[in-house]
Amino acid sequence: MDSKGLSLKAGSLPLLLLLVSNLLLCKSVASLPVCPSGAANCQVSLRDLFDRAVILSHYIHNLSSEMFNEFDKRYAQGKGFFTKTINSCHTSSLPTPDDKEQAQQTKHEDLLNLVLTVLRSWNDPLYHLVAEMRGLQEAPDTILSRAIEIEEQNKQLLEGMEKIVGQVQPGVKENEVYSVWSGLPSLQMADEDTRLFAFYNLLHCLRRDSNKIDNYLKLLKCRLIYNNNC
Amino acid sequence: MSWGPTGMDLWKLLLTLAVAGSSDALSGSDDTPAILGRASQSLQRVNPDLETNSSGKPKFTKCRSPELETFSCHWTDGVHHSLKSPGFVQLFYNRRSTQEWTQEWKECPDYVSAGENSCYFNSSYTSIWIPYCIKLTSNGGTVDQKCFSVEEIVQPDPPIGLNWTLLNISLTGIHADIQVRWEPPPNADVQKGWIVLEYELQYKEINETQWRMMDPVLSTSVPVYSLRLDKEYEVRVRSRQRNSEKYGEFSEVLYVTLPQMSPLACEEDFQFPWVLIIVFGIFGLTVILFLFIFSKQQRIKMLILPPVPVPKIKGIDPDLFKEGKLEEVNTILAIHDNYKPEFYNDDSWVEFIELDIDDLDEKTEGSDTDRLLSSDHQKSLNILGAKDDDSGRTSCYEPDILETDFNASDVGDGTSEVAQPQRLKGEADLLCLDMKNQNNPSSNDATPATQEPGIILAEENKSRPLLIGGIESTHQAAHTQLSNPSSLANIDFYAQVSDITPAGSVVLSPGQKNKAGISQCDIHPEVVSFCQANFITDNAYFCEADAKKCIAAAPHVEIESRVEPRLNQEDIYITTESLTTTAGRSGTAEEGPSSELPVPDYTSIHIVQSPQGLVLNATALPLSDKEFLSSCGYVSTDQLNKIMP
Repeated sequence: MDSKGLSLKAGSLPLLLLLVSNLLLCKSVASLPVCPSGAANCQVSLRDLFDRAVILSHYIHNLSSEMFNEFDKRYAQGKGFFTKTINSCHTSSLPTPDDKEQAQQTKHEDLLNLVLTVLRSWNDPLYHLVAEMRGLQEAPDTILSRAIEIEEQNKQLLEGMEKIVGQVQPGVKENEVYSVWSGLPSLQMADEDTRLFAFYNLLHCLRRDSNKIDNYLKLLKCRLIYNNNC
Repeated sequence: MSWGPTGMDLWKLLLTLAVAGSSDALSGSDDTPAILGRASQSLQRVNPDLETNSSGKPKFTKCRSPELETFSCHWTDGVHHSLKSPGFVQLFYNRRSTQEWTQEWKECPDYVSAGENSCYFNSSYTSIWIPYCIKLTSNGGTVDQKCFSVEEIVQPDPPIGLNWTLLNISLTGIHADIQVRWEPPPNADVQKGWIVLEYELQYKEINETQWRMMDPVLSTSVPVYSLRLDKEYEVRVRSRQRNSEKYGEFSEVLYVTLPQMSPLACEEDFQFPWVLIIVFGIFGLTVILFLFIFSKQQRIKMLILPPVPVPKIKGIDPDLFKEGKLEEVNTILAIHDNYKPEFYNDDSWVEFIELDIDDLDEKTEGSDTDRLLSSDHQKSLNILGAKDDDSGRTSCYEPDILETDFNASDVGDGTSEVAQPQRLKGEADLLCLDMKNQNNPSSNDATPATQEPGIILAEENKSRPLLIGGIESTHQAAHTQLSNPSSLANIDFYAQVSDITPAGSVVLSPGQKNKAGISQCDIHPEVVSFCQANFITDNAYFCEADAKKCIAAAPHVEIESRVEPRLNQEDIYITTESLTTTAGRSGTAEEGPSSELPVPDYTSIHIVQSPQGLVLNATALPLSDKEFLSSCGYVSTDQLNKIMP
């Protein structure tokens, strides 16, 4: 009996360990399923949502690139803004992955949340950008119209992302985290050069962040919808 | 000095540093790398000489990331003006990990992997969306500096694995479509969506110099349309990141050799067979020419060049009229019985009859009736001078066939042929009217128009009212066709001549007060039948197409009457009583209305005293009245022969 009990114990121990380790591992590596309800509607609509989100993010990035280039050409020639813009953006503090490995190791929920955070962080700056740009002397229509368009599209993308998150993580209500932007005073500076540099910086940050969001969303789309086989 | 330009550059560098320092003091938050970067930037902008690297300094040429995971930077050694060796070149980089720049510059981790004069940063050293600054040092001194972010320098590798397949060949066998496929560059992680690429395909014929570009596509295969089968093509593809502007390098060239069609296929250009056409054309023309020239047969000649039909009446020799041989003319005309369809001109003297309704001016002279009836017989003696008036010429007849000989001789004043058909029409109208009048004596309630003979005059002879026959016409539609409706009020309509006085005046018969609706001789069948029943069928003259059944009266009456005025443009008249013509005689105007008598519209010629006159024998008429009357008032030669003793 003892041998039997011992052997049982001995046999069950690795099993137990295995179970525990599995639990641990699964928890660390595996993420929640995309559509926990498993409904077919969920999968289809998620694909459409992601397609639309990627289109929007690509569009926003294009607009911000063009806007930055035009602003650079129009206002920032010969002023040496470029080197100074290595300064921070207000979203730099967010823990966004900075290369492919990091991005691949980030769980999709976290990545989605990060995207949401960045998008929310830009609501306020975009609003003020449009408002202050109207007051900018001789602002070309192209720059202003693009700014208005970006503001609008950013709101739409935010809505879409919230829907996606609602489908991927139903029922999880998280705090609306975002980075505060405090660059408004610099946008309203009296000194023209300072003011222009503030605009320049903001547009540079916008271009960068829109590229980030675009990249993350494409990554997520291929991962979640096409199973890494885009 | 050996320093030369380098010394100047150093001075400028120092100056710029001073300026930068002062401006930095104002803003107060710049770091050393920023200062240096700005300095180098301003240096580059102020001194374009540095760009061309003529000074021999090492300089960055390009920094590039092929897949957004690694990147590499390249520089040039520079031309060495000085005897000095370039020195030990180093690259240092700095990246801003957090809000602050790290103060230390790190040296390039890999000087080898990317080739000569390059620095390769593998994935562990690469961070996206993070600013980098790199600087190049030579012997410890910074010679160049650059700042960028990795996502800004993406230039993918060329695609690999180009191949093509034939899609289809056009029906003409000249063109073909192909599908070109390729693989994305292997190091670009497209599968996971980390980088999204778009591609641009270029192709050209082998011996061309210009590449043809297609629009960028996101897929890895693209169709190329309309390639020519007899040519060889080269194809190449390059890629770029979707949001970027710079393309990567081109792939290897793919050679496309399309399958050759059989040599018997149609030529590439359809050339119009000009030579064949010209040769055959000339040949055909030559054949025709020879046929035409050498053929003796008139038939062929007529086929090729048909003669223009000249309106003429066969068998009538104008000389006959000149000589006054009316007998022969009569005979000839009798022969014309055979040519009934052609012979519209039944009544020659009706030719000259016309309703001169239009011309009000002539009314000043008085109506024809007045003229005829008046003592002023001088005027009225001209029988055959016809006024060429267009009135009254309706479509009774088709003025197709004209007796040119006739008319030429008759008219004498060279009336145009246009006038003649009109005259014919007038005659026809007269005839038809006459016919109808005879046939339907009581069918009309129309008021008899003034019994006035219509007179057809030559254009030049307006002074010669002619009276040959008169047809009363109603003011119905017929009249409108024969004459102006407006002129109905005071019109000289065709009046029936019942008698011609020796003096030359004409006696008009009131006879047919009832006129049938004399339209364009669209003779009703009954009329036709009436005609048919009553007419001598051997008569060659007709009222009109419909009235062909009716037998015309003596054509020679016309002829002679026409002849008479032509020959003798003096007063010629026809009397019913006797037939003598004397110049200057005027007939007494007898009463027109002897209404009750069935007076024939036309008188018959009793004797023909050529060339001077006609003898009309009204008394002789009753004998063959029916015959004559039933005919269109004309007496044919045969009839005349019967009548005359």
